[in-house]
Amino acid sequence: MKIVAVTACPTGIAHTYMAAEQLEKTARKLGHSIKVETQGAMGIENKLTESEINGAAVAIMAVDIAIEEPERFDHIRKIKVPVQAAMKNPEAIFAQI
Amino acid sequence: MKELLQKHKQYLLTGVSYVIPLIACGGILIALAVTYAFQTHHVNALGGPDIDHCPILIQNISKIGATAFGLFPAVLAGFIAYGMAGKPGLVPGFVGGFIAGMPQTVDGKTASAGFLGALIIGLIAGHVVNLLKKLPVPKLLRPVMPIIVIPICSALPVGLLMLALNVPIAIIMLKMGHMLLNLQSGSQIVLAMVLGAMIAFDMGGPINKAAFFFGVAMIQQSNFAIMGACAAAICTPPLGLGLATLLNRKRWTEEQRESGLAALGMGLIGITEGAIPFAAGDPFRVIPCIMFGSMVASTIAMLGGVGDHAPHGGPIVLPVVDGRIMYVIAIIAGALTTAAAINTVKRFTEKTSSLEGAKSS
Repeated sequence: MKIVAVTACPTGIAHTYMAAEQLEKTARKLGHSIKVETQGAMGIENKLTESEINGAAVAIMAVDIAIEEPERFDHIRKIKVPVQAAMKNPEAIFAQI
Repeated sequence: MKELLQKHKQYLLTGVSYVIPLIACGGILIALAVTYAFQTHHVNALGGPDIDHCPILIQNISKIGATAFGLFPAVLAGFIAYGMAGKPGLVPGFVGGFIAGMPQTVDGKTASAGFLGALIIGLIAGHVVNLLKKLPVPKLLRPVMPIIVIPICSALPVGLLMLALNVPIAIIMLKMGHMLLNLQSGSQIVLAMVLGAMIAFDMGGPINKAAFFFGVAMIQQSNFAIMGACAAAICTPPLGLGLATLLNRKRWTEEQRESGLAALGMGLIGITEGAIPFAAGDPFRVIPCIMFGSMVASTIAMLGGVGDHAPHGGPIVLPVVDGRIMYVIAIIAGALTTAAAINTVKRFTEKTSSLEGAKSS
């Protein structure tokens, strides 16, 4: 299954990237393809394109803050979780898909 | 209700995420200039730093730092409102936050509504804009809404409200600073312990930031002891855990020993997040240990009269700290406590845990 995700935490130097890594690892293990956009202190990195979002079945939003350009995800199903959840128990998030 | 609170927390953290680099920049530059003044004996009649008679470069560094620091309430409120209401939230947020940052004279002392005022007015600005967005508008008028109607109709009430709230909030901030200065040593210890526990508990998360911003707000009221206690507590979780991997290598996996070195580096520059790789894999053993270590560090710093002029922690701020020897002692004691605690706990609960093993739990 094709999945997109966004991670963002308040400080944007550690949790954001660790959550992204966990989501990528878990997706690989479960046989999904995933692209994770990080919105840390450096701004948007690994930005999701419109076609990537349109082509995805679901968007995982592992965010503690309001993200930039949220309107890109208006028309896609979203699973919203705190950043901590993506770091500690990514499997539980994928189980919701 | 719970969801509502959750959402508001998210708005506040959005503002915080934009403002962290700004206060680090402003605070450190100001602290640099202050340190130079003290080192070169530029001291005024009150015993404070006399920046005005320092070299022009130092004056300018201080000015730039003060500018960055001065932007902080406006940017904080602006981006809290932005998190709630998007672009239209920026104008009333900036205006309200800027007013919150204006110095007020209360009982002959200067104070400002600062951080607390900016938090409150940012949330109000966001709500006001969201209400205005809901107004039914004829199609013809729609283009003037975002560029004329919403900015004016939100900035005006928000600005008026903040002007009215300014003095009362400034009084609260002044009282709070005053009360903290006059705490008896018993309650000082309690305060330091609470701050230390909060700093370590979520390692850079919202609870850590609450304690951190309390320290920052107190710096603005010229009380440097709170930040001093926080600064010592900020660095001990990564330093202590890194130290633990060095002290007893065989209790840690190779991967953890590598994270340990990274944690030491992060600890030195005052980034509590360096402890996360350990805590994420083993929260029930690691978090109590780092909380304990940070509580030791903050308590020693508080009782030792450590003051921190920069809104940042760790050994890196040593040049701008009052009571440097006690600061170093506090950090070393905290890190050793953390390291000893985690290695002892690991010894008595000998279940090998590794970063990998915990991730699949």
